[in-house]
Amino acid sequence: MSAAAALADVDDALGVAAPLPRSNGELVFEEIWQGRALGLGVVVLQRTGAPWSEFRDHLAAAIAAHEPAPGESAATAYYTAWLDAIEALLAAPGLT
Amino acid sequence: MSDVHDNDGGHHHGRPASQIELRARALEALLVEKGLVSTDAIDAVIELYENDVGPQNGAKVVARAWVDPAYRERLLADGAAAIAELGFGGAEGNTMVVVPNGPGVHNAVVCTLCSCYPWPVLGLPPSWYKSAPYRARMVSEPHAVLREFGLELPAKTTIRVWDSTAEVRYLVLPERPSETEGWDEEALAAIVTRDAMIGVAVPVAEQTPA
Repeated sequence: MSAAAALADVDDALGVAAPLPRSNGELVFEEIWQGRALGLGVVVLQRTGAPWSEFRDHLAAAIAAHEPAPGESAATAYYTAWLDAIEALLAAPGLT
Repeated sequence: MSDVHDNDGGHHHGRPASQIELRARALEALLVEKGLVSTDAIDAVIELYENDVGPQNGAKVVARAWVDPAYRERLLADGAAAIAELGFGGAEGNTMVVVPNGPGVHNAVVCTLCSCYPWPVLGLPPSWYKSAPYRARMVSEPHAVLREFGLELPAKTTIRVWDSTAEVRYLVLPERPSETEGWDEEALAAIVTRDAMIGVAVPVAEQTPA
């Protein structure tokens, strides 16, 4: 799958349940690691062949479970949950 | 003159995120070590988002507005809703304001406090967008900054500089080049660049229609 196709899938898959830019009203990549986290997630999904719907569910759960630190920005909270979702996805049996 | 809309409500200033940043790096390093991902592949995805995928979405929005006056009206009335018509994100939660260029009026978008950016239609922001000099100088001396981008505007052109916030994002609707009479939407979208939708360039009809 091309990166372009995968990225189109990101918008499609996340747009409903865990919209990446709008879940906390903050679309910004404030730090370089946040953009890299997005890239990491996309590549992990490509390489494992796991469906985006599954990642989205992990992400939605991680967002719901996330306890923001005092002063933490929305983007930081979101991408923290994003990392959680990558880990949760990879913890599923048979993927790695 | 510049017409600065100063609204910093809801801004997030960049804060140190060292712990989470280290965690992100560690996870990436671990997955690289396991052979699941490569740094190059991640770079490629990021680069693609920076350069390709997002701007194409915005370009389709602009091209549609150029050929369809009714769509243009809806786009200017409610940017998010009109953009969502084409299947792109941005419908819920945030306000997307589309600012049209016209005779004697040019729009440019900045975020003077952080790097708020309409990324569902434009992809990831270019690195200069987040640089302090761009943000500060676009407000104080927009003609000079645009000249550095290669965009020479008549001195009498009014440059409106729009300051994005977390809640309100701006997209510039450039003017359709007069040479594009009869072009179809696809050909039109091909000349709409990311920079034109930020307002640091204007579309140039350099390609022949398909």
